[in-house]
Amino acid sequence: MEDFLELLVSATASGCVYGLLALAYLVIIRPTSIINFAVGEWAASGAFVGVAVLSTLVWPALEWPWWSALLIVAAFGALVGYGTELLCVRPLVARGAPELSAILVLLGVLVIFREGNTLLFGASPLPSPAPFGFRRMLIGPFPGVSQQFLIIGATFGVFLSAWLFFERTVWGRAFEAVALNRKAAALMGIDLRMVGALAFAAGGAIAAVAGLLVSPLTSAHFLMGLPLATQGFTALVIGGIGRVEGALLGGLILAFVEQFGARWLPVPSGMTLAFPFVLLIGFLLFRPTGLLRAPETRV
Amino acid sequence: MNGRGVHALGWLAGMGVAIGLAFVLGSYHTDVYRKMLIWVAMALGFNFLFGVAGQIAFSHFAFASVGAYGVVILSHQLGLPFGLAFVLAIVICGLTAFIVAIPATRLEGFYLALATLAFSQLVRVTIDEGGALTGGTGGLANYRLPPFFGVDVRGPWYTVCLVLLVAFTLWILTRVDASWFGRACRAVRDNPRAAEAMGVDIARARILVFVMTSTLAGLAGIGYAYVDNVINPAVFSLENSFLLLFMIIIGGSGRHVGAMLGAVVLYLAPFALEPVAGNHYMLVFGVLIVLAILFRPDGLAGLLRITRPGKAA
Repeated sequence: MEDFLELLVSATASGCVYGLLALAYLVIIRPTSIINFAVGEWAASGAFVGVAVLSTLVWPALEWPWWSALLIVAAFGALVGYGTELLCVRPLVARGAPELSAILVLLGVLVIFREGNTLLFGASPLPSPAPFGFRRMLIGPFPGVSQQFLIIGATFGVFLSAWLFFERTVWGRAFEAVALNRKAAALMGIDLRMVGALAFAAGGAIAAVAGLLVSPLTSAHFLMGLPLATQGFTALVIGGIGRVEGALLGGLILAFVEQFGARWLPVPSGMTLAFPFVLLIGFLLFRPTGLLRAPETRV
Repeated sequence: MNGRGVHALGWLAGMGVAIGLAFVLGSYHTDVYRKMLIWVAMALGFNFLFGVAGQIAFSHFAFASVGAYGVVILSHQLGLPFGLAFVLAIVICGLTAFIVAIPATRLEGFYLALATLAFSQLVRVTIDEGGALTGGTGGLANYRLPPFFGVDVRGPWYTVCLVLLVAFTLWILTRVDASWFGRACRAVRDNPRAAEAMGVDIARARILVFVMTSTLAGLAGIGYAYVDNVINPAVFSLENSFLLLFMIIIGGSGRHVGAMLGAVVLYLAPFALEPVAGNHYMLVFGVLIVLAILFRPDGLAGLLRITRPGKAA
């Protein structure tokens, strides 16, 4: 039972990280239809920037609290997203190029960030400090590492604000309007360029924060980006791109299948690496809309 | 001289130079040259899938690994005659591609890319976990190309085989491209609805082109298996599928000359960039990709277009 509860906490924490990555994809896909595969590398960059701020990597230690690093990383991610949209995506949209061109440009951005990370921070993993250390603790009946509980709490915070933004604010409704019908939204006075820029900035911030949150458990490593990108995308496909809460649901399902499958299914341990890919293929082929459908069109 | 004669002469001259190179290069440069030929063959096939037919797939190296592992396992691990192993490996490639293509080619745009990415990771996991049969993560070594009909293909003659592989790939793809099917593929890429209205069976065209190019990738993989006489999963990794895509974009997608240019330039660039950029040549490629898509969507081949007007991409 103890074992089960511990696995439950660890799977939930992983699922939250996947969910955050899926949310980073989602806030960009909804209004722009662009799959930004670079979010995984942005998460890695977020982790590296966080480590750089918190350690003596680039300058003498600032002795700032961990929370300030979280804010700096979020701002960094937003800036990266905004800059990418401005420099690489906007010219293509303005030219009327197909969405695939933007997706391919972002693959180039992915490579630039991955190589940039290695160039600046080296190829060996960097340990990332955790705000509450690595104590084991017990919350109610649930045993786990403090960072796992922090991830779960922070993720619910991010998803709650995303949900409130989309459902309760005028800007969020504008995003939805653009997702439903670009032309009509533009005619209603919504600035499409502004929505695109904000979407990329939000996606960048969410991805970077996800990277910083997971880095104490995995350390910051230049190879962490691609797995996060594929797992986040798988989570997105499972949950469906229609709803914010789908991203979290997809992330949790993916992590539970991965971790409980590895523990209890009678397959060799190496084969468990195949679970996410089987899920991704299965959902793409048999339920391409994901588990949660987009809300009914409300005008 | 008429256009046909010039065309044939161009082929002969190209083949002559490519074969001649095989005999003058030293052992180090032969190795570089052989791998470049494999990249050119891979790029030609991928260009037809991505540039001509508009399908973006990350499974090309997975099929190359199916071909390479197929032939090595069948002929050296299981002891089949080489000719039979060769044919069987290609058949396995074609069949796998067919099974993948039926459901996968229904996916639109980048979703196909991600489904094939997942497929290639599955192939990778299978090879890693294949035990003694596939050699696991360490791969297979200690095998050689057996004599074929009593002829021992060695040294420059193996390089000639690879030149013929590229020539065969180019020949088959130009033939298909010039045919009704090639035009149907371009029509499906540019406007599926109009293509359907013109009587093109979209699903069949997509499946056919996926199976054809994937099988050609398998053939290139078989060619690779005897370059170093070593195969391991890392050679067929996802990174290489990305690089292949970059070759096409930088070279100019949709044109065979673009695919070849892109493959040669991006394959050789790291050697030239080594003193400047060290291992970070991928950073240069990333910047090039962004610049190419933003400012030169027709790639390096677009620079040639000035000299050859009137040829539609």
